Amino acid sequence: MAKKIQVTRPTKIELARLKRRLKLATRIQKIMKDRLSILVMEFLQTVKECAAIKERLLGEYAEAYKALSAATGYHGYAELDKELMMPERTFTVSAGTRNVAGVRIPLFEIEKGEPLQGKMKNPLDTSSLLDHTATLAQKCLETTVELAELESALALLGAEINKVKRINNALEYIVMPGLDATIRYLTMKFEERDREEVARLKYVKLLIEKREAYAY
Amino acid sequence: MLTDVPPGDKSTPEYLQNELRGVNAHAPKKQKTLRELLREAHPHVVCSDGSNHYFRRKELEYLSEMIYEPEQDFLLLPIIIEVSSHPRGVIVRSRKGIEARILSKILGMPLNVREDTIRLYRPQLSVVRKSLKTTSQYVFF
Repeated sequence: MAKKIQVTRPTKIELARLKRRLKLATRIQKIMKDRLSILVMEFLQTVKECAAIKERLLGEYAEAYKALSAATGYHGYAELDKELMMPERTFTVSAGTRNVAGVRIPLFEIEKGEPLQGKMKNPLDTSSLLDHTATLAQKCLETTVELAELESALALLGAEINKVKRINNALEYIVMPGLDATIRYLTMKFEERDREEVARLKYVKLLIEKREAYAY
Repeated sequence: MLTDVPPGDKSTPEYLQNELRGVNAHAPKKQKTLRELLREAHPHVVCSDGSNHYFRRKELEYLSEMIYEPEQDFLLLPIIIEVSSHPRGVIVRSRKGIEARILSKILGMPLNVREDTIRLYRPQLSVVRKSLKTTSQYVFF
């Protein structure tokens, strides 16, 4: 694509300014390329982790449902509903942000609370089956929170990669070639002006010489 | 494209300057020691752009297990990973050698510390980042 050049002031100061701008654009493009490679690396790592956690989560849910159905068969629905009506302990999910190469990614952490007084299950009404189910369900919850964090990280990293790519492309294919073309145009213009100046001086010199020759 | 902007218009150079400024906006204003962070209920540092960068408690505990107890006062977090377009990878500064020990334990190999710097290659970087997701941060040069 031909580069459109628009020069309002073909001056040496403008040329120096453009050269400075080109230097800055080159530096930014280098940084953007580095950032892009880091973001892609983080993205691929997150994809791998996400796939592994999804697989683990599916296994954990399958196990938990199996344990739950065994507990339901042993205790019956009514008994199980009664026992699971109140939680034994509270969980809180604290949310924050972490920064990955300028991308703010949510960070979730499960904090286990103290066991609730008076909410303990009656050992006579429960069995090890129910305890096992509760342990598995807790594991599922932790993995789900982990997966939620990774999924949002994936979306945010993907969006940032697209953004950085666009900036990088704009710099590489529009800003820098434009500046380069303008610098070349101005340099050629100044060279042309110098050549004209030399030609003019030569012509003037010739005229003076001729005049001097006629004078004799 | 308009490369020679009129005297009043400073959008292109300003855009370039802002882009450069924004690249490292996530860098921490001030690093904190591991001991300080372990004492906090929600361990975090404030970034240059005013946002907070939180640390995962598990990672802090993992780091505290890796180093000697008195060294907790000297290990500054997040560990800064300096990224430049150098073909030999990225740099981590290690003034007291604590960072070098941590990284070599994570990578399972000895690391050379030259003039207080450790050079990490890209494949090593992904291994380090996997273990230190919140306790390390990138800075671009």
